[in-house]
Amino acid sequence: MSQSLAVTAHGLVKKFGGRRVVDGVDLAVPAGTIYGVLGPNGAGKTTTLRMLLGIIEPDEGERTLLGRDRPREASDHVGYLPEERGLYPQMKAREAIAFMGALRGLPWKTGRKRAVEMMEQAGIGYAVDFKIRKLSKGMAQLVQLLGSVVHQPDLLVLDEPFSGLDPVNQEGLERLIRAEQARGATVLFSTHVMAHAERLCDRLAIIAGGKRRFEGTVADARGMLPMRAHYQPERDGPEVAAILPADAQHNGRDWVFPVADDAVEALLLKLTQSGFGVAGLSIERPGLHDAFVRIVGAEALARAEAEAL
Amino acid sequence: MANNIGRGLRQALTVARRDFIATVFTPTFLLFLLSPMFTILFGAAGGFGASSMAQGAADRARIVVIAAPDQAAAIVATDRQLRQVFGRGEIPPPLDVVTPSNDPAAQARARVSSRDGDVDAALYGPLEHPTIVYGGGGNNEADYLAGLAEQTMRAQKLGSTAPLSAPTKTKIVRTVVTTSGHNAAALFAVMAIFLLTLFLAGLTMGTMAEERSNKVIEVLAAAVPLESVFFGKLIGMFGVALLFVGFWGTVASQITAILPAGTAAALAGVAPAVGKPVFALLFLAYFVMSYLLIGAVYLILGAQASTQRELQLMALPMTVVQMANVGMSTAAAGKPGSTIAWIAEIFPFSSPMAMAAHAANSSALWPHAVAILWQLLWVSVVISLGARWFRRGVLKSGEGPKRKRKQPQPSGS
Repeated sequence: MSQSLAVTAHGLVKKFGGRRVVDGVDLAVPAGTIYGVLGPNGAGKTTTLRMLLGIIEPDEGERTLLGRDRPREASDHVGYLPEERGLYPQMKAREAIAFMGALRGLPWKTGRKRAVEMMEQAGIGYAVDFKIRKLSKGMAQLVQLLGSVVHQPDLLVLDEPFSGLDPVNQEGLERLIRAEQARGATVLFSTHVMAHAERLCDRLAIIAGGKRRFEGTVADARGMLPMRAHYQPERDGPEVAAILPADAQHNGRDWVFPVADDAVEALLLKLTQSGFGVAGLSIERPGLHDAFVRIVGAEALARAEAEAL
Repeated sequence: MANNIGRGLRQALTVARRDFIATVFTPTFLLFLLSPMFTILFGAAGGFGASSMAQGAADRARIVVIAAPDQAAAIVATDRQLRQVFGRGEIPPPLDVVTPSNDPAAQARARVSSRDGDVDAALYGPLEHPTIVYGGGGNNEADYLAGLAEQTMRAQKLGSTAPLSAPTKTKIVRTVVTTSGHNAAALFAVMAIFLLTLFLAGLTMGTMAEERSNKVIEVLAAAVPLESVFFGKLIGMFGVALLFVGFWGTVASQITAILPAGTAAALAGVAPAVGKPVFALLFLAYFVMSYLLIGAVYLILGAQASTQRELQLMALPMTVVQMANVGMSTAAAGKPGSTIAWIAEIFPFSSPMAMAAHAANSSALWPHAVAILWQLLWVSVVISLGARWFRRGVLKSGEGPKRKRKQPQPSGS
């Protein structure tokens, strides 16, 4: 296996009660990248991550973590923030971070020292000796996140890291993820919020119904859909439709229709010469959310989320 | 391989350290540590109350002899002699000698039947054919009065109540421990291991439930093999157990120094066949084995429970099994070499207690090497089975594809 891949998975399958929760997922996470695993609720993201980490064993398939096919052997070089956050309520914040580091082989003394530095850097240095039960949910989550990186892992796995955080903390988390990448770590995270993935990910995989539906860059995903034009004529009327593509939709004062990448200039020429005038025109690439809905399928998305409830 | 063992041990010790600190450095641990003292104090208070009530009743109790004044002196003198053979707590109630009325029978019945109920038994009539009446619970007193009449008659026939024999008493210290001394040591070992295990191994039950309720288990399971989590918890709670045993062992060693001479002498007769130093080591080893075996089972049960109610429900069958184990081991202590002793020594969960009893009853050492290896095997079986059970049940994981586990180890990263 190439050493430039931090994580690989081939045909991972996991069945719970006869149901294939993960059904033949393949992944290849290049080292040093930020990689997103996207999918609706219940898509199998968490189960996939847990199999990659060796928390649970796959029923079929193989995976490697930092070049080892037994994830446990790489555990000292991995940081993990689970979806269900968990800390000992009676522990002090500093000790909690040091404890998580110690589990991964970091000496306690170093862990405590780094915990103080990291908490001060995160703006919560005043709480180093607070017990976890005294912290707000967001602060406790931040402490756990710091605990997952205190040993400076080569691979950081975050399961739905943004859930439960306010916008300010979400921004702080994005900064931390970028800082980890800058340090040289590979970051693998799952989310069902497209905005974070769009801003952060170098590459991503979209999983739905336990299957991988897409793998590539954000641009690749967005490129699966044509650009979309929003045209507002100066003189509107049904006759405008004659100069627009057949699938153009009249939406209020706007006409909305797809535009191929190589048809932009021709469109501009057509609109300016049509005699209807141009009161407004915007041509934009669809966002990741639209690509996600297209890939997963609106109906499948609704079904997957309903099954997850 | 050595790396994996080293890492597993380091991870287990990290878990153990956390559990030890989380348990010991809390105010409630002080209560736990001192709980035997509370038990002793409450027991002593209850015992003192009951004993005071019993003593109050005993202080008021009397036995009565209705006899002519010319016999009174002989009866009193004989009574004084007879009382010397009774130990403390067995001495009959004080004797009242009263002059007979016109109807001694009615007089005796009246004394015994009185509302106060102070007179346990009364004797009247000629000493050759005395009649004794007594109330409920006065049977021994009635027998004493019969004996008193007999001895008084003998003294009267001899013409003197003075002692005829003047014994010389010399106390000797036994140098050889008797079989009953071995049995007593065996019983002590069984009960001590049983109580300590019951008291301390139960601590492990709640620790995994704590991880599950706090969701910390996911963090642990991602970083540490479950075998290390299990072993770490056992070690952590074992540290607590050692602290407990060390504290109360020290207290007990100081208390024996201030025990009454009689009690100390009685304890000196309780000795194990292998000798006290070896016995102490074997006792410690079997306590460790018993703790690991039972503690591991409690840990497994605790890992399956998601509520306190489930925890309690799961603890009950285990307690019943432990009672059966101690029953077998006690029988083994009393009948070394019997079939039941063999069964108790082989059955893994009773083996530590039964083998500690074996050490008290027999001086052979090789069976202990075999037993400890056997028990260690079971400790590892129970821990690894427990971890697998936990992995399957709680983390909903399978064993993984068989072919994958046969693959050779990769090298490098």
